Amino acid sequence: MRRALGWTVVVLTALVLQSTVFAQIKLGGTKPELVYLVTIVLAFLEGPASGAVAGFGGGMAQDFLLNQPKGITALTLTLLGYGVGLLRQYVVTPSPILPVVLVGASTTVGVLFYGVVRFLLGFNPGALYLIKVAVLAGVYNAILTPLLFPPIRRVAKATRANKVFRW
Amino acid sequence: MALRSRPRNTRLVVISLVMMSLLTITLDYRGGQSGPFEVAGRATVAVVGALQNGVSKVVRPIGAFFSGIAHVASLQSENNKLKRQVADLQRRTAERVSLERENQRLLALAHLEQTLQLHGVTATVIGESVGNFEWSITINRGSSSGVKVDTPVVTGNGLVGHVIEVTPTTSKVQLIIDPSSAVAARLSSSGETGLLTGQRGKDLTMDLISVGAKVFPNEPVVTSGYQGGLYPPDIPVGFVSHVYQAPNDLTKLISVRPAVDFSSLEFVLVVTGGSSG
Repeated sequence: MRRALGWTVVVLTALVLQSTVFAQIKLGGTKPELVYLVTIVLAFLEGPASGAVAGFGGGMAQDFLLNQPKGITALTLTLLGYGVGLLRQYVVTPSPILPVVLVGASTTVGVLFYGVVRFLLGFNPGALYLIKVAVLAGVYNAILTPLLFPPIRRVAKATRANKVFRW
Repeated sequence: MALRSRPRNTRLVVISLVMMSLLTITLDYRGGQSGPFEVAGRATVAVVGALQNGVSKVVRPIGAFFSGIAHVASLQSENNKLKRQVADLQRRTAERVSLERENQRLLALAHLEQTLQLHGVTATVIGESVGNFEWSITINRGSSSGVKVDTPVVTGNGLVGHVIEVTPTTSKVQLIIDPSSAVAARLSSSGETGLLTGQRGKDLTMDLISVGAKVFPNEPVVTSGYQGGLYPPDIPVGFVSHVYQAPNDLTKLISVRPAVDFSSLEFVLVVTGGSSG
């Protein structure tokens, strides 16, 4: 319960920040994808199941704010959260750069997937524009990771269930 | 035992979430504007809109500060620009009562008010779309101020877009630069009409112009306002920036630079009263 509440607050904050502050501070005309970032970081910290659930919830919340078929972002982020959680188990480096690289690369892959699903539903984003946004959003998210990783980790830790899971 | 069953549980969770996503996409795609998800969507917009309203009041100067840094090369002129911006923003915040008057002044400048007699409510832009594939803004006026879906939105410079979603206190406006926006428009000199579609933040394209039509560079493009259309006639939309003519095409394609600067939208007029002129 506490966990759900904590994550809801994180996702809501991400959505509000993205549509207000970061609407004015763009990187090459592109906003960061903060809900992607939150999903990836949570998957990185908590594993594939939590990553998938956080991605689904956050994606659905973002979908409800967009004027398009709901569920596309939820689908993207469910898979992204699961994938990053799985990938994490096979990476053993303790390097602090890992989350930055992981967030950047995963965001780019996620946005590309999202664009393709959207295209299949009849919304053509333009291939060049899609690639541009995917790359820039990845770079922007990577830049923001050192800033946002610590607070997300704090929320994740504070609201973690007492049971110890080994994923 | 518990350890062995965990990956299977995870897989089950992921598969059910994916199925739920696909189900949502399908239901919403088929349901159009009246599905159950639209209701939930409006609720989300209402909650986030309220938060945006609060946050944008606090962070607008901060945002202006940062974008100033990004855009101005020299430190000195940047400083001056930011000072002017902060002063401007402070003045505007303090004078919210005179917002109406200010907007009227802008409208008069553009001869919009005199020629078109547009009436409506002024609104402040409190947020932008959360996505990178959608061009919309959130404004701080909703159904309680008489805003309805499909209401046109303008600034003193020209057409901004139309309302696509309404909550009691906020509304979402689709900008004309959104790829799914289409505006029936007319070239001011020749009177040729065509369809303006958004091009992802770049110049709009105007289609369906007959090959014989004379098009001048920088010629103003205005809304055509056909019977039953979304927008009243003669609202400035932009200026012709380029004309494309393929040798065997039956129509011309024109690039139109929007009259409104969509990167710095602050106040807009929601045309609730329609055009009486």
